[in-house]
Amino acid sequence: MAPSRIPSRRPRAVLRAVTATAAAALVLSACTGGGAGSSGAGDTSGNQLLTIPREDLATFTRNFNPLSPQAAPMTKEAVYEPLVVHSMADAKDTPWLATKWEQAKDGKSLTFTLREGVKWSDGKPLTADDVVYTFQLRKKVLGGLEYLDKVTAADAHTVKFSFNKPFSPGFFEIAGQSIMPKHVWSKVKDPAKFTNPNPVGTGPYTKLERFQAQSYELGRNPDYWQPAKQQIAGIRMLAFSGNDSANVAFTNGEVDWTQSFIPDIEKSFVAKDKKHNHYWFPPAGAMINWQLNTTKAPFNDPAVRKALSMAIDRDQITKVAMNGYAEPADCTGLARTYDKWRDKDLAASCAWTTYDTDAAAKALDAAGYKESGGKRTLKNGKPFTLDISVGSASSDWISVANIIKQNLAKVGITATVKTPDWGAVVSSYEQGTFDSGIVWSNNGATPYEYFRGVMSTVMVKPVGEKATENYHRFGDKKADKLIDAFAAAADESEQAEQIDGLQELYDKDAPVVPLFTGPEWGAYTDTRFTGWPTEKNPYATLGNRNSSTILVLTSLKPVKG
Amino acid sequence: MRLILRNLGFYLLAFWASITLNFVLPRFMPGDPVSRMFAQAQGTMQPDQIAQLRTLFGLDDRPLWEQYVSYVKSVFTGDLGISITRFPTPVSEVIGSQIGWTLLLGGVALVIAAVVGNLLGIVAAWRRGGVLDSAFPPLLIFVGSFPYFWLAMGALYLFGVSLGWFPLRHAYDVGLTPGFNGEFLANAATHLVLPALTMVLVSIGGWMLGMRNTMIATAAEDYITMAEAKGLSPSRIMFRYAARNALLPSVTNFGMALGFVVGGALLTEVVFAYPGIGYQLLMAVQGLDYPLMQGIFLTITAAVLLANFLVDLVYVRLDPRVRVR
Repeated sequence: MAPSRIPSRRPRAVLRAVTATAAAALVLSACTGGGAGSSGAGDTSGNQLLTIPREDLATFTRNFNPLSPQAAPMTKEAVYEPLVVHSMADAKDTPWLATKWEQAKDGKSLTFTLREGVKWSDGKPLTADDVVYTFQLRKKVLGGLEYLDKVTAADAHTVKFSFNKPFSPGFFEIAGQSIMPKHVWSKVKDPAKFTNPNPVGTGPYTKLERFQAQSYELGRNPDYWQPAKQQIAGIRMLAFSGNDSANVAFTNGEVDWTQSFIPDIEKSFVAKDKKHNHYWFPPAGAMINWQLNTTKAPFNDPAVRKALSMAIDRDQITKVAMNGYAEPADCTGLARTYDKWRDKDLAASCAWTTYDTDAAAKALDAAGYKESGGKRTLKNGKPFTLDISVGSASSDWISVANIIKQNLAKVGITATVKTPDWGAVVSSYEQGTFDSGIVWSNNGATPYEYFRGVMSTVMVKPVGEKATENYHRFGDKKADKLIDAFAAAADESEQAEQIDGLQELYDKDAPVVPLFTGPEWGAYTDTRFTGWPTEKNPYATLGNRNSSTILVLTSLKPVKG
Repeated sequence: MRLILRNLGFYLLAFWASITLNFVLPRFMPGDPVSRMFAQAQGTMQPDQIAQLRTLFGLDDRPLWEQYVSYVKSVFTGDLGISITRFPTPVSEVIGSQIGWTLLLGGVALVIAAVVGNLLGIVAAWRRGGVLDSAFPPLLIFVGSFPYFWLAMGALYLFGVSLGWFPLRHAYDVGLTPGFNGEFLANAATHLVLPALTMVLVSIGGWMLGMRNTMIATAAEDYITMAEAKGLSPSRIMFRYAARNALLPSVTNFGMALGFVVGGALLTEVVFAYPGIGYQLLMAVQGLDYPLMQGIFLTITAAVLLANFLVDLVYVRLDPRVRVR
């Protein structure tokens, strides 16, 4: 019976080995445990790295291809640069790789003058050819840019973009494109699938000092065109698989700048070090809407949409569900980013976004939806009920939906909050099978994209056919005209007229029920770096992955000593 | 040998069934990868980009059966395609870069929990009513029934943040280069302690109770009395006579658990920001990344089947009755 000895002995042998390893691990941890993990905290040597966590990426992939939607963080923020930097915080355009630009009188072309003396991080100069090539490549790889006829280099520093129709919103798309070096990318066989492991860009931090799955470091570009603004020694990215672990690192002072959601930020973060820990949530995000499916009765009636809008308490929604981080909407539907376009008289005079349960009840009565015994009925005699869909991952928006549900109960409408996975919710939006839902909106540099998304007939798809915007399927021919006139208008005062017209139509139609302007998150500690954007100096938002991030990176200064 | 061959046939059938399920199930989910990505971006992406991304990813519009045929082909050639949530990284590379950490973490935790748990069970059953028997099972079950997330967060705050004994995150320190040298291995070991410890804590009670219960039944058998009558030493009886026979169900469980290690430990990865397959799978499901999902499911399927097959082999050796049948 030789084999019988084996099983009885093995456990003991294994146990010995395991206890030995465990003991060794404990001893080792006693030696190194204290210092481990606290990299960077309190470092003020002047060479400290700006440490940024990504709470949504458990591991990084070495992909610095700016055409890829999954490019590593900082690809489009620190390695590659656009022609013009647009900041959502103050709606300003800062000349960047282009020093100036001009729109043709007929609106059918745009001419950019490139900055002199800009070099790629391999020492070669930036020329108009690079810009032309970038747009050819983008069209080939990603398609799109239908309005763009051709891009030509007039001379080494002038690029002309010719359109096939007057289209002023194209400026932001073109100006914001990351410019790529022709001498590198023209040699790449399949640019769509190229991971660009050693990027060559014009940005301030292009040198990949080290790369590991859970962290990497970008160092200074030796050839940067504004060396005076390269104050920080480099950027270190850290990977986290969720808000919780990222927030531990942040409240522990190990990272400088985060964009992850921190509940009760005053208490959990600011209170720990009032002098250094700060946050700023400017209302620079998109308008968040409660959309009602206008292909279904009674939501096809603007009077009903307005009555429902009056029934909901936006102050409670922003204070309770959004932690006070958001700002309530008015009946122009414009997010706070578009303050300069807002028709202030209109906003002050209209009432359908003001919380008023009695007025809402009266409006519903007048529209023919009578109440009896605390429950309202539809015109066909059935009870007035509706579903509100929100994706299960968005806990804050689920609270929003629940508040709406309570508000609606007061006017005799029974709402049910449905929270399946976002995939299922979006699929019902796309197909037009939903009742109502909490939904984001287009967030462009001008209100053009917003109004196109909620009111243009061009984007309306029949139920059952896949829509990519205007899920609520509302279109107004008059809005189409204004939207097209806006796109064709060459100067801002002319555009403002169209936007005024659109606001008026919006107020009349109530295509969606606007709720609040989403905040742009951001928190930082200034123990190691200063010069952050604040409410008093709003040159950029505190987002570390948007178009104005480059402004922050070139403004920060390390704390020394 | 015939038994093994018969088993092998069964495993092939099971493999086919599960790869087919792996193909079909993700496709029952509503939506498609690009609209998922769009939904997750919530307003920061323009609708025009949807068409652009479809072009970029080259999404599969062929009829399902054609996709299925090429999927089965790819399973056998090992070409699992390109991940969408990690575009343009190949699926095999995504899995390959994470699976080592998953196996390390899951393997270490499983082996410790199973070995220590079984030993505790053996001793507890042997000294029935003793301190070990009366104190440990309720204590371990008590600890094990905490929500894992809470327990892990608690351990992280206590041992990581407050006491500073262990690192708070990642598989090794920022700045270290992976390699087989003392410094790196020691560092990786300290990073492993908290994640593994919490996993052991919640699972060890099950191992102990299972072993204890079968052991009690075995200890009442006549051959144990016989062995005692022969005057064998108690430890010899305990391990070679009682425990060996009581071990069989534990071996089965161990094999099952070993297969599932490959699936990763999602919550552990989330709390300790530890790299691994679990979080990757979650991202793949949320992003409807069919190629990556298929790749991970395939790996799990293969691992579970392989582990079971190994257990079958071990069984043949451990339990003479199996050989006779």
